[in-house]
Amino acid sequence: MQKYISQQNLNTLLDKLIAKGTRVVAPRMNAGIPLYEPLESSAKMVTDQLPRRSAKEAFFPVCEEIMSYEKEGQQVKLTDVDPARFPETVLVGVRPCDAAAIPVLDAVFSWDYKDEFFLERRRKTTVIGLACTTADDACFCTAVGLSPAETRGSDLFLTPLDGGGYACESYSEKGEALIADNGELFSEPDNSMPLPLAVPQADKVDLKKVKRWLDEHFEDPLWDGIAVRCVGCGACAFVCPACHCFDIVDEGTEKAGKRRKSWDACGFWKFTHHASGHNPRDLQPKRYRNRIMHKFKYYDDKFGQTLCTGCGRCVRICPVGIDIAAIVDEINKK
Amino acid sequence: MSTRVPDTSIYFAVTEGIRAEANRLLSAGEVTAIVGYTTGRRTGSSQPIIVTDADDTARLCFSVTSVNNLAVYLTKAKKEIPKNGKIGIVVKGCDLKALVGLMGESQLKREELYLIGVPCVGVLASTVQPSTELTAETIAPKCRECDAHLPSGCDFLPDVALPPLPQLDGKYTAEIARLEALTPAERWVYWKEQFAKCIKCYACRQVCPFCFCEQCLCDRNKPQMVDTTPRPSGNTAWHIVRAMHLAGRCAGCAECERVCPMDIPLNLLNRKMAKELKELFDYEAGLEVNDKGPLTMFTEKDDQSFIK
Ligand code: SF4
Ligand code: SF4
Ligand code: SF4
Ligand code: SF4
Repeated sequence: MQKYISQQNLNTLLDKLIAKGTRVVAPRMNAGIPLYEPLESSAKMVTDQLPRRSAKEAFFPVCEEIMSYEKEGQQVKLTDVDPARFPETVLVGVRPCDAAAIPVLDAVFSWDYKDEFFLERRRKTTVIGLACTTADDACFCTAVGLSPAETRGSDLFLTPLDGGGYACESYSEKGEALIADNGELFSEPDNSMPLPLAVPQADKVDLKKVKRWLDEHFEDPLWDGIAVRCVGCGACAFVCPACHCFDIVDEGTEKAGKRRKSWDACGFWKFTHHASGHNPRDLQPKRYRNRIMHKFKYYDDKFGQTLCTGCGRCVRICPVGIDIAAIVDEINKK
Repeated sequence: MSTRVPDTSIYFAVTEGIRAEANRLLSAGEVTAIVGYTTGRRTGSSQPIIVTDADDTARLCFSVTSVNNLAVYLTKAKKEIPKNGKIGIVVKGCDLKALVGLMGESQLKREELYLIGVPCVGVLASTVQPSTELTAETIAPKCRECDAHLPSGCDFLPDVALPPLPQLDGKYTAEIARLEALTPAERWVYWKEQFAKCIKCYACRQVCPFCFCEQCLCDRNKPQMVDTTPRPSGNTAWHIVRAMHLAGRCAGCAECERVCPMDIPLNLLNRKMAKELKELFDYEAGLEVNDKGPLTMFTEKDDQSFIK
C-alpha cells in the first residue's frame, strides 16, 4: 500500500506517539554526535547524518541488566528482569543498511536459544526505514547486494520526494496498522518524484564466491597482510549493525548486585582468552580473520545470510584504516 | 575555494625522501622493517604499513591523513610486529615525543631504532573525510598548538624546508580555560555527559603508545578492579584511570581522541594533566629521555604543602 506523508504530518505522527507513551527512537544529536536515541519531541530528529552507532541498540542495548541478586544470611534472592515491561517502540529514520541488519540479527537471537530480551523488544517495535540520498566513499551497501532504497527489515519505508514529504510504502502488518491507526496523516500519493538516491561507489561483490574462497583459506598470507596492523579494539564491532557478541558480568558487592549483558568484540585479545591462560587466537591477524570469517562464511554456513550490510561504519572509524570493503573486493577478485 | 593554510606541498618531496631512504635501508640490510604509511582505498586516505622488502618501499607515503602515531607498533603490546634487529620508523614531531617517553621507560633502545623524521605542517582532524583539504578549519586540533613541526635528533630527515606556518589559535588552551572557569558541579555535568557516550571499545587504549600494560587494570577480573560494563561507574573509573596513568607520560599525540568513535575529548584530560604537572613539577613529557617521571620520584623541590 503506497501513501504520501508530509514532513509536518510525520512530525505530528511522532509527537502523537510520544504523547501516547510510545518510545520513539530516531537519529538525534547527543553530546555532539548523532545517535539513534529516544526523542522527547519530533523536532529533535536529525536525518541528514548517519548515526555513529547503528540501530541495533534499539533491540540490543550497549548494556542492559538481565537479573539482580541480594544476599541475606544464607539466602540469595534472585530477581529476573521482566521483558514484558519493555515499551512499545517506533524506530524511525532508520538507514537501509541498519534496517536490513535487523532480520539478520533475528536469525541468531531466535536460534537454539531464544533471547527474550532481543525478541521481546523486536516484537514491540515498528521499524520505519528511510531511503538514503547521500553516501560517502565508505558506503558499500551496493557491494553486498543491498541499496540506498533497500526495504528489508522495514515495516514502513519512506522515500524523500522532490516536492517535500515522503512516499510511504508498507511492508508488514505492523506497518499497515500504523497507517490505519493514523489514517488522517497519510494521503494518496501525488505525482511528485523521489529525490535522486545516493550512489555508493562500490562494485557488486559475488558473496558466494567470497565464501568459497574463505572455505578454503583459513590459513592464508592475506590475514597477516591486512591485519598485522590491527590494534585490537572493539570499535569496528561496536559500531556495526550486525555484530552481536556480548559479555555477561555480575557487578555489585557480595551483598547485592546486578547481572549485566554488554557488547563484546572479537578484536579484543580477551575475547578468546581461556581460564588456563591459553589463547587460541593469540595474535591480532587471527582475531581479524575471525571477523571476516564470521561475516562472510560462518553466518552463511549457519543461517544462509551475510553479517555485513555495507554501512561502512567500521571503515570510517578503524583507527588504522582497515577497510572491509577493500578486503572483500580483493577476495572477490582472487 | 578555501586557501591552502597551511601549505602541504612539501608532502610530495617528503614522500619521495621517505621512499628513497627506506629503499636504501632495506636494500643495505640496515633495518629489518620500516613502519610507515601507505595509501588506502578511500580518496586521500592513508594507513599504517610495515614494509620488509625493498621492492615495496614505493608503497610508502606521507600525506595529511598520515595521522597515526606509529610508535604504538614498537611496544611490547603489539606482539605481531617482530622486534628483531633495528627497525626504521617514520615519525612526526609529536610521535617522536612518545618514542622518547618509551625510551625513558626502558621499552625501547635508541640504538635499535632508525628514525625517519617528517617535516610536518599538520594533519587532518578526525572529524572530516580523508579527501578534505587541509585548512585552518580542518586541521587536527593538536597541530594548532604544535611545537614540534621539525622532529629533532632523527637519523634521517627528507631535505625539505618547512614553509612558513600560519598562527592558529589553540583550541585545547581555550577549552581548558573554559572548563577551568566552571564550578566543579558544572564541570562534572560536562564530563558526565561525555563519559556517558563511552562504549568501552578501548580504541583509545589500543592506539596509545603508553598503554602497553600486558593486562590493563580495567580488563582484570581476578579480582575485578573496575566495572567493565559501559555504565556510569565503570566509565568514570576508566577515564580516571586512563588520565592518571598517562599523567607525566602522555606528550599529546592525541591518538586517543582521534580514534574515539564517540568523539569524547580525551586529549583535554591529557592536556589538563600535563598543565598541572608543568605547574607543580616544572615537568614536560617527551622532551628528553628521563628514566623517572614526576609521579614516580620525589625531590626536595616537590610541593610539600599538603604535609601538615
Ligand atoms: S562489517 Fe562494517 S560495513 Fe559491514 S555492516 Fe558491519 S560496520 Fe557496516
Ligand atoms: S580492525 Fe580496526 S576497528 Fe577493528 S579491531 Fe582492528 S583496529 Fe580496531
Ligand atoms: S602536532 Fe605537529 S608534528 Fe604532530 S601532526 Fe600536527 S603539525 Fe605535525
Ligand atoms: S575510544 Fe572512546 S568510546 Fe572507546 S573506550 Fe575510549 S573513550 Fe570510550
